[in-house]
Amino acid sequence: MAALVDTRCVFLKFKVFPHLIPRRFRVKKKWAATLPRITSTKLALQNFDVNYGTQFGERWPSIRVSLLSEQKYGALINNFSSAEELIKGLELQGARDFVYEAQARTWSPGSVSGKPLGDEKLEWSSSLAAGQSGNEVPLSSQVGEGVEMAAATEPPSLSPNIKCFTFPKGDITAFSPARLDGSGLLGYYLLDAASVLPVLALDVQPGHTVLDLCAAPGGKTLAIIQTQACWRLAANDSSVSRTGRLRRILQSYIPREHSTEDRVRITSFDGRRWGELESNTFDRVLVDVPCTTDRHSLLEEENNIFTRSRSKERQTLPLLQSQLLLAGIKAALPGGVVLYSTCTLSQLQNEYVVERAVQAAQEELGVTVHIEDLSPLTQLFRDTFHFAQGMRLGELVLPHLTSNFGPTYFCKLRRIN
Amino acid sequence: MVLRWASLFRIQQLSFSESRHPLTLRKCGQEPQQALQRQLCSSLRNGPQQDLACSRDKDRPETPSQELRDKLKLLNGGTPWSCAHEETVRSLMDLGFTEDQVIQLCEGTSSQMPPLSTQGLATLSTLTTLGLNPSSILRILEKCPELSRINGNQLQQRINSLRKLGLLEGSLQRVVAHCPHILTLTPKRLGTSVRFLREECQFTGQQVTEILRSAPATLLEEKRQLQNKFQYAYFRMGIQHTDMVKSGLFRVPLEEIRSRHVFLERLGVYETPDKKGQTRIINPKLKDFLGTSQDFLTKVARASLDEFEVFRKLLAREQDEEKEGQEEEDSDSEEDEAEMGYESEESEQTEYTRRKK
Repeated sequence: MAALVDTRCVFLKFKVFPHLIPRRFRVKKKWAATLPRITSTKLALQNFDVNYGTQFGERWPSIRVSLLSEQKYGALINNFSSAEELIKGLELQGARDFVYEAQARTWSPGSVSGKPLGDEKLEWSSSLAAGQSGNEVPLSSQVGEGVEMAAATEPPSLSPNIKCFTFPKGDITAFSPARLDGSGLLGYYLLDAASVLPVLALDVQPGHTVLDLCAAPGGKTLAIIQTQACWRLAANDSSVSRTGRLRRILQSYIPREHSTEDRVRITSFDGRRWGELESNTFDRVLVDVPCTTDRHSLLEEENNIFTRSRSKERQTLPLLQSQLLLAGIKAALPGGVVLYSTCTLSQLQNEYVVERAVQAAQEELGVTVHIEDLSPLTQLFRDTFHFAQGMRLGELVLPHLTSNFGPTYFCKLRRIN
Repeated sequence: MVLRWASLFRIQQLSFSESRHPLTLRKCGQEPQQALQRQLCSSLRNGPQQDLACSRDKDRPETPSQELRDKLKLLNGGTPWSCAHEETVRSLMDLGFTEDQVIQLCEGTSSQMPPLSTQGLATLSTLTTLGLNPSSILRILEKCPELSRINGNQLQQRINSLRKLGLLEGSLQRVVAHCPHILTLTPKRLGTSVRFLREECQFTGQQVTEILRSAPATLLEEKRQLQNKFQYAYFRMGIQHTDMVKSGLFRVPLEEIRSRHVFLERLGVYETPDKKGQTRIINPKLKDFLGTSQDFLTKVARASLDEFEVFRKLLAREQDEEKEGQEEEDSDSEEDEAEMGYESEESEQTEYTRRKK
């Protein structure tokens, strides 16, 4: 639909004084198609330079270069497929199960089979031993140190049966894509190895009911199912399309009998409503909130939260995150654990949200929430990941070129009443 | 054997037909060489010895010692026209070579350096005229044995063309000593490289001379490689001509430049200037970050060696994947999607290519 314009007017942009031309005929530079747009990834980078430059200071350049370079993956082993051959293959390539390795270091140095020290550790270590049949992993040379550590601090209680292989620090070999085994299931799931840490910290014990409030795309949900310890799992995500993706992933990895409706329930409600829907129900709640996904925002244009059209959404993120966490707290049983995790470095979305939610729970609901210390866990995995020092609340995995995992923030809360 | 004698005889004839004046050093490059040839080949010595450009130890005996003769007799059996000939040996010693060096030359020290031939003799004399001392000449021949296969006249021509490019006496010797392969280039090839630098890269004549002086190996590179390096530095890094020349950019291979530059860029330490030549941060000087890797890491990048090593590997992998991606694109001839990723990570070539992420 072209407006009938006198052609003489169209050419008026040359030679004539601008104020004599009607506004609608003047050339408007800001909408000219040839000017370059500032891409959203560039906006994200500028935003991070300003915020994280002040937050991290001298450490920011090292984090920046890691975020802009290719990330490192870990392979979460699918316990439901024939894992033996696969594990041997991965070990030949040089990858190691970092979960097992770290825990092996806390056992007594003398025994090769790795007998645990003390009774309190029997529960999780025996389930570990059951899961690790036929796995010959040499005890690392740091065993001596590990024993001292074990004496100083009790090893943390972790979710059992999780096996995640990674290549050592400085090794950039890539995993080949997973292949289908005889039973039609994929052997492993490639994800950022730092995403496994919140699930380990969640400490799912046999017989627990677990809620995953923002489950999609499904890496952490899959890890929870791998523990084979949860009696019931409720996985929810507010987006219907992403829930579909979650379903597909579970289909490829979990046999039908383990993912029936009564064992695994997948829903697409708004997570903030869970307080009213099912309060005081779950032993464990994982709240892996939507965030600015730093790594994705710097490299991918598609679906980037830093586009100008989504700036309102981005600015209200911390509010959404606190509401989700509060709902998670409401849904947990007294004595239950709520684990808050994000994949951003921003303090506004991490510590600030936790503090707000804890405060709101106290004031509005009269619920007391304690924040548990996760330093034993970080000590355990310090050889695989780069943790930020001096964190006031929770733990943060920093990307570093030699171990380019993260960024992942996680904080363990326990509901007291 | 016959050929050699014939050429020697001809040269002798020349010397007799020339004036009987004592040898004098003239400005023009050709004359001293001819004079030297005469000296080399004729056993007659007209007039007093004049000082030539080469340094000669007057105290050394002009006749080869008995020891030397014995050693050379051993070699006699080898090559038919062996240089174990008195004449040659004496000439070599006149040029300033010690006995050991003469043996080295005649034997051929390594598999790369064959025993001396006639042309080799001419090369030696040319190089001596240039003003290089015997040990440097030996080193040059070891580095670049092809030199001895070049015709004496051609060699002189090439030296002249280098002179015309602005390499003055001191620099010329240094360049030849440092990078003798430059003399293996034909004038035409040399001209192409120089023309490329002047016309396409827009360097001034002085800048070209400076590049030649500090990084003579540049001229040996293929045009495509040189073009890639220049384009990367100019468009992707935003460096101007004067900085390129002053910092010795051409001495460093492109891969090294690229890995250091992208490392600094991703650290946030270096920023490509925009259209107006402005940056939001102060970029480190090119001189500083093309220095030794120790300096580069501690002063400019302020990162550890491990990080840089891992980064290099990651970047190499990224480059490979990009190349594969581009090849696929060409073969599929799909419609290009909009450019992904942020602007400073675009492809380095000047043609505006869009890549699919």
